[in-house]
Amino acid sequence: MDWFFQFPEMERSGLRDFKKSIDFAFRDFSRSYGEGIENFFEPLLMFLVWFEKLFINTPWPIIIVGILLLAWFGSRSIPILIGTLFSFLLIGYFGMWEDTMSTLAIILVSTILCISIGIPTGIAMARSDRVQTIVIPILDVMQTIPSFVYLIPVVMLLGIGKVPGLIAVCIYAIPPVVRLTNLGIRLVDKAVLEAADSFGANYWQKLFGVQMPLALPTIFAGINQTIMMALAMVVIASMIGVKGLGLPVLRAVSNQYLALGLMNGLAIVVLAIIFDRVTQKFGLRMQKYRKEIKD
Amino acid sequence: MKRSFRTAFAIAATVTVGLSWATIGNAACGKVSIAEMNWASAELMANVDKIILEKGYGCEVELVAGATMPTFTSMNEKGAPDVAPELWANGVAEPLKKATAEGKLIVANKAPITGLGEGWWLSPKTVKDNPKLKTALDVINRPDLFPHPEDKSKGAFIGCPAGWACQLANANLFRAFEMEKKGWVLVDPGTGAGLDGSMSKAVDRGQNWFGYYWSPTSMIGKYKMHKLDFGVPFAGSKNWDGCIVKAEKDCVNPKPSAWTKSEVNTVVTANFKKNASVALDFVSKRVYPGDVMNGMLVYMADQQASGKDAAYAFLEKHGNVWEKWVSPDVAKKIKSSL
Repeated sequence: MDWFFQFPEMERSGLRDFKKSIDFAFRDFSRSYGEGIENFFEPLLMFLVWFEKLFINTPWPIIIVGILLLAWFGSRSIPILIGTLFSFLLIGYFGMWEDTMSTLAIILVSTILCISIGIPTGIAMARSDRVQTIVIPILDVMQTIPSFVYLIPVVMLLGIGKVPGLIAVCIYAIPPVVRLTNLGIRLVDKAVLEAADSFGANYWQKLFGVQMPLALPTIFAGINQTIMMALAMVVIASMIGVKGLGLPVLRAVSNQYLALGLMNGLAIVVLAIIFDRVTQKFGLRMQKYRKEIKD
Repeated sequence: MKRSFRTAFAIAATVTVGLSWATIGNAACGKVSIAEMNWASAELMANVDKIILEKGYGCEVELVAGATMPTFTSMNEKGAPDVAPELWANGVAEPLKKATAEGKLIVANKAPITGLGEGWWLSPKTVKDNPKLKTALDVINRPDLFPHPEDKSKGAFIGCPAGWACQLANANLFRAFEMEKKGWVLVDPGTGAGLDGSMSKAVDRGQNWFGYYWSPTSMIGKYKMHKLDFGVPFAGSKNWDGCIVKAEKDCVNPKPSAWTKSEVNTVVTANFKKNASVALDFVSKRVYPGDVMNGMLVYMADQQASGKDAAYAFLEKHGNVWEKWVSPDVAKKIKSSL
């Protein structure tokens, strides 16, 4: 009856050999293909470095004006502009300007990357049930797997630094935009599609003329969530050597520096709030016609 | 959680041992309690000591779980456990000095492991390809060998993770050696895992690696890293404690210096000296060469071996090392028992 109370587990040495064989297989993979994979990501790395330098080296008043212009273009809201201005002045005044610019650069690039991969994936999922059944479990894994588990292989392949950090951020941040693009398109009223069909619209006309515009509020909710989750990953990315607001947070955590942690943490929050409000307002403005219909 | 449990256990156990000590008489060697600290190299040393003292000298040895502070306090106050094989003394320097002056504790071995401590390391490939790189001063002139992926014209020096005490020391030495001017970037690996990852990636891939690490560790043993001589002497504790380990603003003028020496001792109690004097000679001679120790740590990590398993493996494999610690007679006794 031993097996009843004690789970019949694999023999210790067998388990060890099994683990070892995986480790060695990955090491061999990394030895033979690591260089190539690194070269593949080289242009992305160069872009990231260039983008970060651009942010850091541009004089701060120009950056602030640029951000305010973007915020105005996105939100057309005076309170948001004032809030943005004050937050950035405070961030600079408390000596977090450079770290904030690094963070801003990597978050912007990862958001662009996530959207440009995520929306097409979402469209493919909405189009085919088979794609959806394959992609959804993958998204589940990406959202729940502890980040350090995939950081180990990523670091072994690409070392520490910006590209592995970017990949870590995107693995965690991409699911919302994929899921909500899929959902938004699937929720478009069948009657509207029938109408489009009866006007003789082809597939692409239906997609870009009917489905995407109607799904836009949902897609924008997805983009918004993707940005939020990317910002939440700033500290994790710093764990593998990405410069930015995450490093001081790590320093604060291991030394119990309350103020340092709080200030840099709040700077991340402020960035998140600005991104959130601006994209939300932008999303709302893009569907203004809905209200007009309702009126 | 586990650590605090172990610590509590260690204190409880040491108190019990201390109490029973008084009531039980001693034979030629008698009862000895050895602190088994909660990290791999100390586990190995405690178990090797146990086997040698038991089989070679006929002692009755008990291992007691421990950690630096609680074990030292218990030894100092209660006189038990009798032996701390690997005591990192930098943290308890003052009380240890006092206790040795009073004769309560004896530093039986000033350096039980060689090549130990923190410092700057090179990957084995770097050393093989560039035999001219003898010291840190030579390496600093060759940033081109260690291109930083984010800026190929600069060399990458992998420093200490954010928030660790060594971060300040590395940053100040980076300034002291004027490395920025010579084309270096100080890379913050973020975490210990990041530091390990950058090292294992570079060595696995046959790339050059230059950065901070410490020994004895399985990482150093596994990747056969080469400890770099700084090329300058230790520039005095005033420079080190008053500047190098401080924040940048408190250390305006750091001087280049070798890394401060990590004091690791084998400490025994006065009782041990009195009751087990035959074994004291062994303890004072017991020096593990750094590469052997690192090799054993790799073995422990790979095989997930306990301290006891590793101790037997050490005694079987490295006879040429430990037979020098004891008389041929004793060595024979131990060998026959394996």
